Amino acid sequence: MPRVSGRERRYFSPEIETLPRDEIARVREERLLGDMLPWAYQRSALIRETWDAAGVTPDDVQSMDQFHERVPFIDKDAIRAFRDRHRDPYGGMLCLDPKMTEVFSAIFSTSGTTGDPTPAPYAGRGPSMLVREFWELGCRPGDTFTYCLFTFRGPGIHDTIRGIGATPLFVDHQPADVSQLVRFSRELRPTAWYNLSGPLVIAIEQYAAATGIDLADAFATYQGVTLAGEPIGPRARRRVEDGWGLELFVHTGVGDVGAATECREHDGCHFWEDTCYLESLDPDGVEPVGDGERGELVSTTLLDKIAPLVRYRSDDLVRITHDRCACGRTHGRVWPLGRKGDEVVVDGRSVLPGDLWSAIEAVPETGAGLFQVIRAGREVDRLRLRVGYATDGARGPADLRTRVTESVHRAVGIEPDVELVANEELLRQGPPHKIPRVAKS
Amino acid sequence: MATFAKRYEDPPEVWGIGRIVVDGEVTPWPVAQRDIEDEAGSLASRLAALGLERGGLVLVVAMLSQAVHAVPLERAAGKVGALYSSADATPFDAFRVAALTRQLEPQVVIGITGEVLDGLVEAGRDPIDVLGPVPAVVTADEDAHARLSAGGLSPRRWLKLGPTSAIEGLGDDRPVYDASRWRVEERDGELLVSNAVPRLTDATRLRTGIRGHVVEDGRLSVS
Repeated sequence: MPRVSGRERRYFSPEIETLPRDEIARVREERLLGDMLPWAYQRSALIRETWDAAGVTPDDVQSMDQFHERVPFIDKDAIRAFRDRHRDPYGGMLCLDPKMTEVFSAIFSTSGTTGDPTPAPYAGRGPSMLVREFWELGCRPGDTFTYCLFTFRGPGIHDTIRGIGATPLFVDHQPADVSQLVRFSRELRPTAWYNLSGPLVIAIEQYAAATGIDLADAFATYQGVTLAGEPIGPRARRRVEDGWGLELFVHTGVGDVGAATECREHDGCHFWEDTCYLESLDPDGVEPVGDGERGELVSTTLLDKIAPLVRYRSDDLVRITHDRCACGRTHGRVWPLGRKGDEVVVDGRSVLPGDLWSAIEAVPETGAGLFQVIRAGREVDRLRLRVGYATDGARGPADLRTRVTESVHRAVGIEPDVELVANEELLRQGPPHKIPRVAKS
Repeated sequence: MATFAKRYEDPPEVWGIGRIVVDGEVTPWPVAQRDIEDEAGSLASRLAALGLERGGLVLVVAMLSQAVHAVPLERAAGKVGALYSSADATPFDAFRVAALTRQLEPQVVIGITGEVLDGLVEAGRDPIDVLGPVPAVVTADEDAHARLSAGGLSPRRWLKLGPTSAIEGLGDDRPVYDASRWRVEERDGELLVSNAVPRLTDATRLRTGIRGHVVEDGRLSVS
């Protein structure tokens, strides 16, 4: 097959990425109703148990209306409860025996940010749907692609980079590897980078401050960089985009059934409706919310036959639209807003970590945007924050505490109780790409 | 829909750009798909010597930047008929080593470092309790080897010998490399490595930084 360069070409799979909406609906119904639901019910112990308890079988679900009316939800608690009840590390989700080495080559695991990592058997499926995103980043056959991640996600990203015809350049997503990231970027001239995160931004800034290196020069060949793990505040984003010259593409998981990534319009993250079905429901109920309104993401896979999630209440608060994007793609877009479990209500006022970001990073010493909401419960009397600060150059904790308090008060109209800690203390609490944004104490 | 990637499936000869340390310097090291597969074929016997069997599982503890060394081990597991799993060799990811060791009951855990042991201790776990039930534990640095030995375990060693690996088996206290594919020499007490079969990137008497000597073809002792 001849190599296609296509640097000027916008889409990787134009016929799919611009599929008419009625065709998207047809593909969804065909895959979901005709294939995925019977498969999941017959083979996933958790799905079968949940459906049986609700008195539902796949025969009762012959239309999308019936899907919405009848199919029961599952969530992380249900998976954990099944795991504990049956001593099944896969939580009743597996549809195939993980010891089938003719099918599986490996067992990877989830990040484990909120508990024990969940093992995930891997069947070596080759390039993933991320080829569409990587193409949009500007990666083309023959390019070098910076693959900056961890090992526990498996070879899927590597296979996807090669599937596009590019060469992966392996870099650790670790502060300790920033010097090689910068050096290799300068020497090997990669065009795309997966992934950057808030903690890595901090590490790169510290490296640049210590060495005096010109990051705009070192990163000059990148056409696009995904930003994932957790959002960064608008000021940090400007520092990266204007100061380093990088175009960032927000990249987010969608309910553990896939990923969504911004296109060059930067107006929401595209998810692929030929691979998953996403609903946005009332976070405290079961009714759908309208396009553009805040809701809880409920996900269903259309492709994953190994551990299919069906109507999985993700706890993620999002806005979703199905309007055509200015880029021409017809698939839906999602804006991640935060996690339902991260919300606190102070005097009847809802506050999510994302509401505080700008106010905290507006203060120079806390400009890294490292903070936690202390959440003893959903409804609290006082907004309590633990805020990380750069220990060099602070004018003193008392003065700093006052300035952070005032900045947050101005932003959300609530006066917080602020505990100051060194940035490093918060960074130690998380995996390399994020920190826990909520703590119980 | 399944053909979405096929139009462009013409992967380049370079499988990936890893890195090795040559003469004390981190050096980008491009490898080809055939290099990875050939190393995997060679390392399958080393995993078998550690007790990995068909239907078993090896947990590979490494960093993404060590792909040139770690991925052949992962592929080698498949050649044995076994599965593999992965964790980062960092203090933070030590919790994953503990969780996967408990959940998946691997026959072999390879790549334990002093930092991983630090991470276990920091998380309130006793490394001996975590790794004690594993039939074969293989360390990637001397710190981990000394600490696990002091705790009563019998860890084996994994040496990154230029672009290849030398690994001790359960019944052998000498690191073993594949002498049909790699030539190892000594100079002033340092091991030098060269490829004896074609590789995308040739190694010619690379200074590995490892002090030791060649006991016989394929077997080393390290100091």
